[in-house]
Amino acid sequence: MPPDITTEPAGVSRAAIELIDIRKAFGTGAETAYAVDRLNLTIKAGEFFTFLGPSGCGKTTTLRMIAGFEEPTSGRLLLDGRDVTGVPAHQRNVNTVFQSYALFPHLNVGENVGFGLSVKGVAKDEIRDRVKAALDSVHMTHAIDRKPSALSGGQQQRIALARALINRPSVLLLDEPFGALDLKLRREMQMEVKEMQRRLGITFIFVTHDQEEALTMSDRIAVMNNGVVQQVGGPVEIYERPANRFTAGFIGDMNLIEARITARNGDQFTLEAAGSRIDFPCTLPLQPGDACILAIRPEALHFVEGEAGGSVRFSGALGEAVYIGTDTVYALVLADGTRLHARVRNGDRPMPQAGAPATLACAPSAIRLLTQ
Amino acid sequence: MKKLIALYVPAATLIGYIFLFAPLLVLVIYAFNAGRSTVVWEGFSLAWFAEALRDRGLRAGLQVSVIVAIASAALATMIGTSAALAVVKRPFAGKNLFSTLIIAPLVLPEIVLAVGLLVATVWTGVPLGYGTLIAGHVLVSIPFSFLIVRAAASGLDPRLDEAAADLGANGKQAFLRVTLPLLAPAILSAFLLCAVISFDNFVVSTFVSGVGSTPLPIQIYATLKSGLTPKINALGAMLIAVNVLVILVVMSRYLKTIRKQS
Ligand SMILES: Nc1ncnc2c1ncn2[C@@H]1O[C@H](COP(=O)(O)OP(=O)(O)O)[C@@H](O)[C@H]1O
Ligand SMILES: [Mg+2]
Repeated sequence: MPPDITTEPAGVSRAAIELIDIRKAFGTGAETAYAVDRLNLTIKAGEFFTFLGPSGCGKTTTLRMIAGFEEPTSGRLLLDGRDVTGVPAHQRNVNTVFQSYALFPHLNVGENVGFGLSVKGVAKDEIRDRVKAALDSVHMTHAIDRKPSALSGGQQQRIALARALINRPSVLLLDEPFGALDLKLRREMQMEVKEMQRRLGITFIFVTHDQEEALTMSDRIAVMNNGVVQQVGGPVEIYERPANRFTAGFIGDMNLIEARITARNGDQFTLEAAGSRIDFPCTLPLQPGDACILAIRPEALHFVEGEAGGSVRFSGALGEAVYIGTDTVYALVLADGTRLHARVRNGDRPMPQAGAPATLACAPSAIRLLTQ
Repeated sequence: MKKLIALYVPAATLIGYIFLFAPLLVLVIYAFNAGRSTVVWEGFSLAWFAEALRDRGLRAGLQVSVIVAIASAALATMIGTSAALAVVKRPFAGKNLFSTLIIAPLVLPEIVLAVGLLVATVWTGVPLGYGTLIAGHVLVSIPFSFLIVRAAASGLDPRLDEAAADLGANGKQAFLRVTLPLLAPAILSAFLLCAVISFDNFVVSTFVSGVGSTPLPIQIYATLKSGLTPKINALGAMLIAVNVLVILVVMSRYLKTIRKQS
């Protein structure tokens, strides 16, 4: 297992944001739906924190409550230790980078970036200097006199970042900021934003439905589904130790196999999964007869011939093989019809034929046992 | 038969245009007539334009009309803009009913409005004059300012308000620095259109103008009774020129916002 890099950056401990039992309901009466439900979270100062989840899971709603555009139906929200529930957006020391950028179309780039300072009554000279510096930091000084409509999506994105950061907020909120950019630009901006966050030490709260983006950028991630946080942890923890079926299935590729405990001897379990008998060490409080789910990454599985001791084995008939460059993903159809996917490096062995009997194996430590 | 149908559309269009514009064309042409007749051409002259501009009654009427047009357009634009912003930006109970009532003067017979206004002035004892004239014109022009500003406001990205608040702007600052500048072209269009509507108004003016506050259309009508000369044509030509200009400006802006939204 790679070293755990989930430990937070040095010097981080103060809470920037505390979300206490937050709920947000939309609609009334029988149509009430909770976009966010019983959210309890502490986001530390200086952290790069990401809300990750499928579309409609409540990420934007959460962000909008932090910004002050939306009030929670119940619960409290602390910002830098101060209760800001009910405080209007313009009085919160938080700035947002909107998904659609929301640049002011009637103002030029310089006026857009200086807007926050200008409404606060900062002196003209200081505004001019700080606008220059802010544009410099996003490499957009040359566009200072242009209108937003004359800029590309990526450039508008940079202006939106500068416009928010110039106010030196204690928290910066970013709602799927790279959603509209093409892949290459997206990668570039991800690196740049991450680097900017490290340099400034400002708390970034980031929203995305892209798990790869979340894994590469975040210090910690909250995985959300249906308005409920499923798991909070560092990228490695989320990827390697998913807490439940949803997280396991949402982050990366994962084989999820229904299983049943057939016997228990201390911490040694015997399971029955997809027609195979598996011996498995585990400390979960499970009893014979309990149902559970085995989560196995495709890359943890490899083909074996004959008897290899100490590993968990699944036998079946080979299904389709998908060539993806360095690797090939094989499907193995088990006795009960379950398909098990294995990602195997090319060149290690000749391509097996579809329909041929085969056996996949993995180390017991590569299997995660989930109960929900 | 098919040929007849194929001819129908262009023919009907042509007849329609002739019907619409021939009288105007004749009116404008005879404004330049040298003689006293509005039907017999006697040579080119600009004399009637000078004559029209010299006429005391017409000049007084023009002054009243300009004052009333500016005042009523300003009021109608302010009220229409406020109503449009309320309808677009704030949810409130009875919103649809509110919109319908604001647009109502557009579909009610103007004569009914005029009689109603007159009854109201008699009932309240308000003397007829500039006040009643302006009030009447505000009433008939509010629907237009409301519709124009509403179209523009509903095309504004609501995120812009949030962005302004996010950057620390309070409600007033957000309005003055973001909403108002973005709506300015629509508000200007609304003002111009309301001014034209007031300037052209006849029915309401007939009922609620008082002695010393007779607007131009009514003055013209009165002048007609003492004989039809190309002076009226000259005046008409000038009014047409101003109106067409304003309508062109307003409509091109209005169509642009509508097109942007679809
Ligand atoms: N203003 C609103 N009125 C009603 N329902 C809303 C509103 N905003 C969001 N929702 C609902 O709340 C849920 C979460 O939405 P959102 O926070 O935008 O999700 P995400 O950003 O994760 O895609 C969705 O089901 C959405 O339909
Ligand atoms: Mg969203």
